[in-house]
Amino acid sequence: MGLSRRDFLKATAAAAAFAAAGAAVLKPKVSEAADGEIKWDKAPCRFCGTGCGVLVGVKDGKIVATKGDPEAPVNKGLNCIKGYFLSKILYGKDRLTKPLIRKGGKMVESSWEEAMTLIASKFKESIEKHGPDSVAIYGSGQWTVFEGYAASKLFKGGIGTNNVEPNARLCMASAVTGFMTTFASDEPMGCYDDLDLGDTYFLWGANMAECHPVLFSRLIDNRLKNPNVKIIDFGTRRTRTSQMADKYIRFNPQTDLALLNAIAHVIVKEKLYDENFIKSHVVFKKGKTNIGYGLEDKFQFVDDPKPITFDEYTEFLKTYTPEYVAKLSGVPAATIVEMARLYADKDRKVTSLWTMGFNQHTRGTWANNLAYNVHLLTGKICKPGENPMSLTGQPSACGTTREVGTFTHRLPADMMVANPEHRAIAEKIWGIPAGKIPAKPTYNATEMFRALDRGDIKVVWTQVTNPFQSLPNLNRYRKGARKGDGRFVIVSDMYPTKSTEVADVILPSASWVEKEGVFGNAERRTQQWYKMVEPPGEARNDLSQTIDLAVRLGHGGLFPYKYVEKEMWEEYRKFNEGQGKDLAPYETYTKARGLRWPVVNGKETLYRYAEGYDPYVKAGEGIKFYKNKKDGGKAVIWARPYEPAAEVPDKSYPFWLCTGRVLEHWHTGTMTGRVPELKRAYPAAVCEMHPDDAKKLGIKNLQKVKISSRRGTITLPVSLDGRGKAEKGNIFVAFFDETKLINELCIDAYCPISGEPDYKKCAVKVEKA
Amino acid sequence: MPVSGIVVRCLDGCADAVAGRIATFEGVEVHGVLPDGQIVAVVEAGTVQGEVDIVSQLHDVKDVITVQLAYHNFEDL
Repeated sequence: MGLSRRDFLKATAAAAAFAAAGAAVLKPKVSEAADGEIKWDKAPCRFCGTGCGVLVGVKDGKIVATKGDPEAPVNKGLNCIKGYFLSKILYGKDRLTKPLIRKGGKMVESSWEEAMTLIASKFKESIEKHGPDSVAIYGSGQWTVFEGYAASKLFKGGIGTNNVEPNARLCMASAVTGFMTTFASDEPMGCYDDLDLGDTYFLWGANMAECHPVLFSRLIDNRLKNPNVKIIDFGTRRTRTSQMADKYIRFNPQTDLALLNAIAHVIVKEKLYDENFIKSHVVFKKGKTNIGYGLEDKFQFVDDPKPITFDEYTEFLKTYTPEYVAKLSGVPAATIVEMARLYADKDRKVTSLWTMGFNQHTRGTWANNLAYNVHLLTGKICKPGENPMSLTGQPSACGTTREVGTFTHRLPADMMVANPEHRAIAEKIWGIPAGKIPAKPTYNATEMFRALDRGDIKVVWTQVTNPFQSLPNLNRYRKGARKGDGRFVIVSDMYPTKSTEVADVILPSASWVEKEGVFGNAERRTQQWYKMVEPPGEARNDLSQTIDLAVRLGHGGLFPYKYVEKEMWEEYRKFNEGQGKDLAPYETYTKARGLRWPVVNGKETLYRYAEGYDPYVKAGEGIKFYKNKKDGGKAVIWARPYEPAAEVPDKSYPFWLCTGRVLEHWHTGTMTGRVPELKRAYPAAVCEMHPDDAKKLGIKNLQKVKISSRRGTITLPVSLDGRGKAEKGNIFVAFFDETKLINELCIDAYCPISGEPDYKKCAVKVEKA
Repeated sequence: MPVSGIVVRCLDGCADAVAGRIATFEGVEVHGVLPDGQIVAVVEAGTVQGEVDIVSQLHDVKDVITVQLAYHNFEDL
């Protein structure tokens, strides 16, 4: 034929791209020939919470190719730039392949038997001497459903401690408490279809173009097809998203609270609200104010919700005139009015989108509540194209940490350890004695590592996460881990990280398609995949590691499964049945490209609480927030005030510091940073700064500066004209770079309701290095 | 040598101009511009490192909105 294999591969690549772009191009036969030796299977992407479908190509036991899955409804055959690294993350040169034990200050290779025997002895010793609350497990939104479920079952149902937390506490906890306080059920009513079906999109502090590029492409596609589509970007930093938006609205950090109340103020004052919707579906409440910042160890907060009337709510809003909020936020009063009218325009289908800007916030729960308020006032909710949508950052922040409930206070399916009925349900499903699960939650993530520092927790096992890079006020917690006196840190990971540096035992883990798994994405889509390749060396999946410990601690009876994943799934989904969170049998997910729960009679649910979509809503009910039984099936509009950030710039520390992600890296960079390619594309963290601020300080582009907060100092080059552009008085630093631990500067203040720290706001000074 | 198939989305009415711009990149072959303005191209480089460098640069080309990956083969590595 005169065509080389290289030509075949190129034809295959082009054909796949044409198909994904929606072109009616037949797949050339030559490309099938090139593809012939590769065995393909489906998996969700390993990175962000979007949950894109990937086809993974395996040849001779190795991954040799990947494709965007054309059958995946989320991404329809296209992946973002991180798709280049999906398979390569498994083949980094420094992949951990043997257990390592700290001996005489050095990490020494060991057998699994020796490592697990040591770990079990440390657990037993600590539980015996100090009680079950002296041991803990800290996982993540990258745990598969099975890994999270096993950890929760072992610790809460076996060991008898609620010391279970995920890193999702650092990213999604405010979304959870926002949903729970407004709707009494976690996770969104809408889905990604809203990105295609709406015409007005408000992005609140979400740089979707870089952090959720596939979803952002859906928005852009919608706008290309429909010139009426408007994208409004509310932000504190000018980003790639701002460039693409129809309008970028800069606001001062923390004033999102005031802006949302001002928008509500205008909607109420101008009577733009949907009176019928409010009468039928909404109640009004207020909670405590001046609620603190969680800066003290063992901080405790309990809200005290009180019902209020619509008139009292209107009275509460009176403070938030556009003029007052303009002064506070820096957004012109006329713009606030214009945005309120846009939100309320009866001819527009409005969707709001947010992620860490609202969640990593000392009033994160309130910010979420206030976003829902605007949708509830206007009745733009539970309808195609009209929903508030909280995006997530990890592939199973929803599926595992939120749905399985791997937080100290939660059990599966929104159940709570503090609720005796919920504990009884869990104890029955788990087949454990009544009263085994402790009634009191223990520590949120920040408090868990404070407890380790104090010595109240002695043994902590971290899986699939890197807390000793990602915690705020990092110095304290890194030092705390190495204080000795019985403290013992176990880290399961696939690569050496800043967390393995402080570990006493490192366990090599299998990752992604080296194991069977289930993830759940931000639109309630549950996605399953099979193991496709062997993990390297002696690496094992975290699920088997946890079960191994269970057996050694005498709790092996909790895991009596033969086909572990399938049987565990069937057990897990008992929690969800009849709760508005129903999941399908395991086989269903092995075939489907994910399904959005509740799945009843094999049918997924696009819009929760909406008649005709949600099987729990009866004919004639229209919309019913049926999970909120205590308020008669209505959602709550909350009077939540503006309160300042925990630390604000002053003379000594005159700049706001905001941290976040960039397109080419993901979280702490242990997977993306591993790959030299990505490092080159965005090699090291920089300090984004406004050119006027730099000029005042006599700083030139790429010149090194010393950035200091009250907690730490780092040195970085300044970027005055990068992809992201800081506003005056603000600097931005990405947190992926393990050689520049920006989180040492962050304050460990958190939202008192959600326990989620604020990585977006603290005060720093910038000097020439 | 790794090879990948990509789809480039650009501002309305700019597809032909963008296709011209990205075709000048070494390692990029433009295979077609669809009627809706999407550009299909094949990227190849000596290493995945090279591919990502190219795609990263394509993100910053004038009038480009998104660059997405449809297919990636790296079996020769």
